[in-house]
Amino acid sequence: MPIDVTVVRKIAALARLRIEPSEEERYARELGGILGFVEQLQALDVSGIEPTSQVTEGARPALRADVVCPSDVRDEALQGAPERDGDYFKVPQVV
Amino acid sequence: MNKPAMATDAMRAKYEPVIGLEVHAQLKTNTKIFCPCATTFGAAANTQVCPVCLGLPGVLPVLNERAVEFAVMTGLAVGATIHPRSIFARKNYFYPDLPKGYQISQYDRPLCEGGAVDIHVGGEKKRIGLVRIHLEEDAGKSLHPEGKEGVSTTRVDLNRAGVPLIEIVSEPDIRSGEEAYHYLTKLKQIVVYLDVCDGNMEEGSLRCDANVSVRPRGQAAFGTKTEIKNLNSFRYVEKAIAYEIDRQIALIESGGRVVQETLLWDSARNVAETMRSKEEAHDYRYFPEPDLLPVDLEASWVDVLRKTLPELPDALRERLVREQGIPDYDAEVLTETRALAAYYEEVATRSGHAKLASNWIMTEVNAVRNKTGDTIESFPIRADRLGDLVAMVANGRVSGTIAKKVFELMLTSADGPEALVQKHGLLPIEDDAALRDLALEVLAANPGPAAEFRAGKERTFAFLVGQAMKQSRGRAHPEKLQAALRAVLAEEPA
Amino acid sequence: MSTPLVLESAEALATAVKKGERSAADVTRAFLAQADRTAPSLGTYLHRLSDSALRDAEAIDRRRAKGETLGALAGVPVALKDNICVRGVPTTCGSKILEGYRPPYDAHVVERLRAADAVIVGKTNCDEFAMGSSTENSAFQVTRNPWNLDCVPGGSSGGSAATVAACEAPLSLGSDTGGSVRQPAAFCGVYGLKPTYGAVSRYGLVAFASSLDQIGPFARSARDTALIQSAICGRDARDTTSRGDARPISLDALERDLTGFRLGVPRSILEEAGEGLAPSIRAAFEGAISAYERAGAKIVDVALPHARYAIATYYLIAPAEASSNLARYDGVRYGLRHPDGDLREMYEATRGAGFGREVKRRILLGTYALSSGYYDAYYLRAQKVRTLIRKDFLDALAVSDSLLLPITPTPAFKIGEKTEDPLAMYLNDIFSIPASLAGVPALSFPVSFDASGLPIGLQLVGRPFDEETMLRVARAYEREHDAASRAPAIAVAGGGGAR
Repeated sequence: MPIDVTVVRKIAALARLRIEPSEEERYARELGGILGFVEQLQALDVSGIEPTSQVTEGARPALRADVVCPSDVRDEALQGAPERDGDYFKVPQVV
Repeated sequence: MNKPAMATDAMRAKYEPVIGLEVHAQLKTNTKIFCPCATTFGAAANTQVCPVCLGLPGVLPVLNERAVEFAVMTGLAVGATIHPRSIFARKNYFYPDLPKGYQISQYDRPLCEGGAVDIHVGGEKKRIGLVRIHLEEDAGKSLHPEGKEGVSTTRVDLNRAGVPLIEIVSEPDIRSGEEAYHYLTKLKQIVVYLDVCDGNMEEGSLRCDANVSVRPRGQAAFGTKTEIKNLNSFRYVEKAIAYEIDRQIALIESGGRVVQETLLWDSARNVAETMRSKEEAHDYRYFPEPDLLPVDLEASWVDVLRKTLPELPDALRERLVREQGIPDYDAEVLTETRALAAYYEEVATRSGHAKLASNWIMTEVNAVRNKTGDTIESFPIRADRLGDLVAMVANGRVSGTIAKKVFELMLTSADGPEALVQKHGLLPIEDDAALRDLALEVLAANPGPAAEFRAGKERTFAFLVGQAMKQSRGRAHPEKLQAALRAVLAEEPA
Repeated sequence: MSTPLVLESAEALATAVKKGERSAADVTRAFLAQADRTAPSLGTYLHRLSDSALRDAEAIDRRRAKGETLGALAGVPVALKDNICVRGVPTTCGSKILEGYRPPYDAHVVERLRAADAVIVGKTNCDEFAMGSSTENSAFQVTRNPWNLDCVPGGSSGGSAATVAACEAPLSLGSDTGGSVRQPAAFCGVYGLKPTYGAVSRYGLVAFASSLDQIGPFARSARDTALIQSAICGRDARDTTSRGDARPISLDALERDLTGFRLGVPRSILEEAGEGLAPSIRAAFEGAISAYERAGAKIVDVALPHARYAIATYYLIAPAEASSNLARYDGVRYGLRHPDGDLREMYEATRGAGFGREVKRRILLGTYALSSGYYDAYYLRAQKVRTLIRKDFLDALAVSDSLLLPITPTPAFKIGEKTEDPLAMYLNDIFSIPASLAGVPALSFPVSFDASGLPIGLQLVGRPFDEETMLRVARAYEREHDAASRAPAIAVAGGGGAR
């Protein structure tokens, strides 16, 4: 599966990752190599096979009772924020 | 931005609008969908947060049982299929109020599919089909304070992040803004009846996006649709849809083409504008949420919910018509909320007069509530007192006029109507002698009309009754007063 | 000559502390001193907790003095991989993006260790977000193999493996997504257990690939492995994928012999490694089979026909989940923020600067595998193949009681030797990844050394929630061989391997 720099840029944008232009070729090559390797899966017949999303199965759905349990992490969480405005997290303007 | 040219009636006649609504309803659970934080509206910023809803590294979601219950109840109420297994999926996108960088939602295996909601428009019943109802988590709130160009920042409050939502997706069965309005009203009524959502659009507990397209009448294929967001009230939904239908028709008629886009409704200017955005086309990269097991529902559990479902608006309305014999219109008004219907039923039973009870609630009670903003729960006259008053009207204990006075007094008093009548000297005048005196007095004061009546002008009688009633400040027993008047009129004038 | 304290087993130390023969403080001080001496050259720790460890140990001693009964790990130092959250203690996952981050809560395993009266001594180095097999992908430092300081300790839990091998702590925890406990255990000559998926709560383990991640222990004996696994396993209401089927392991059961035991050997998987399989590993594998036959086990040929697809399957599923799990590192609520223009630029600059190459590569790969138009061909197909791989294991384990297979194709390689070619690095995971995808438990245990003195480990794979049987099989080998009891020169002051 050939991956060119256009594809790398598109995925990087979707993943909000800044990739330096000097690195794009290398990522394209590496991703192309890995995707070429995983092509082998196409040879398998998987018709009628259920996908496995996770292997915990047969367990009763573990649901939580609707009971409030307050948490004490707020101050620590706000203190750890890169930037805050009073009791809010602060971020650069959206758009 | 110029307002686009709008369609004429002739143009409108050529097109059929096709509308589908996506409604998000916040569920009235005590805690969030995946963590035990409270969901109270209006709490101080970032006070209802924990590691899970803050999206801290290493945390995992645990599903709230009641959220599932509420979603299933909604599905049952609209006749949807409740899937024995549904699966949560991650919807991946970046936004500051989405702490994990993905929203836990449901995608190809929703909790409920199908079902329908019946609406009444212009006396006609219409069925709006549903595609699905699924569970998901709400995002936090991004606040964008007004700032100078280029220096503004956004503040993030995550109290709302993780509040449970159901998304109710309709089929494209809606044909007008008015139908959309009725559909939303009905949907709200259902979730409020079920007590799974408080239905408060101002607080954002009900939110709506509209997909709108038009197609030439008779054409089967759908036209290109646009999505309208920021619809903060049912009336905005109605207006925005009407606006967008017209815009699309006028655009097509002028040789243009509708572009698939997202519009934001500007309720101050009554226009829908293209959402400014640098975003590339969305690619949400849905995949099954590996941190949650599939939601497996036992049939017996669903059956219990089905059996304990409260009576829904349509059923209640039909029952009121059937049992109380009131007109369908009355039943519709009285079933606006479950509490109002219960109030009515108590008034009707206590008074023994179903229609009179209905009239009193639809006119007197609702007039006061419209003025004061009271819900039926907060309305100062409880059903037992109103029932007694209606009974007094029905059995002639008081006239309508007196009853209205008593009603006014009851608004600020805890006394029953009989006590108020006594206390304020509003007892009816039933005594024959007193009524005869009253009749004599009125005839003496109105010699002309009295003469006219005696000359055979029957119409004048009503006038004289009115005068006598006025004289008695409404207290005269109506039938007995009329009898007394006729008796005196039959006598030779003095 | 008595055994130096740091070479004693966790079991012996805990027993001594419980009986009052040793104080928890003395035990802790001995290991802290060992780490003071060796950790700087090994690069095992990102954050040491010497002060709080001593305080915790003294508190344990006070409780004993008051007559309280102490837990199973009384006074035993335990090191944690730096992707396990401890309240108020830096937790970076070896990534710049989490530099300075202090979680406001404890992981489930931390609560359990404290309940067992263990003493937490520090946070160990690892590959960034557990992505890697050499610990060279840590943003902060290189960790060296205690047996040969020019070699990697393996990864991603390299710090946790090396610290136990160097006797800086008798026990540690790592996390295993595709072999990140078992492979470094083999490279460092210690035990490394990947429990059944769901046996240990993931609450407080910073996620890499949610459907594969499991916390697992390192130890220097089968019994010590059982001891710590028993302390951390079991259902936790905060992790709905955790299960109550995971029960404490009986130490007595580990001593049962192997008469009638059926050891499954999937030889075909060796051929998958082909030329890449070192003769020393092959020899150790064949040697172990013979040893087990001698010990009374029946050798059963089994097949894992889809195991050859495991690497391709894994490198779609794990990056896909990782791309989503790592979306929360956005500079908004914690960790690094790179101030740069508007929101979008901030996101891209923060993530661009905060993540290393390997992490970026996997985020890109995973984003691609999930993106519109590719989901069915990549992610969904990989999940279906995963079903086939799991079935292979369950079938093989229906006709045998445990499987024996290699864990690494070679002993530890040199630092810097393999970091250039990601695919070549991924292919080394051929033996560890299949059990991860199947969700079954797997144990890496030390069996011998190669000619250069590097440890060689092998792998046992068991039935879901049957960690005990694997440990019993490993214990049988341990009783007859000395590989597990040897310590590297660096661990013994003055040099020379000690028994």
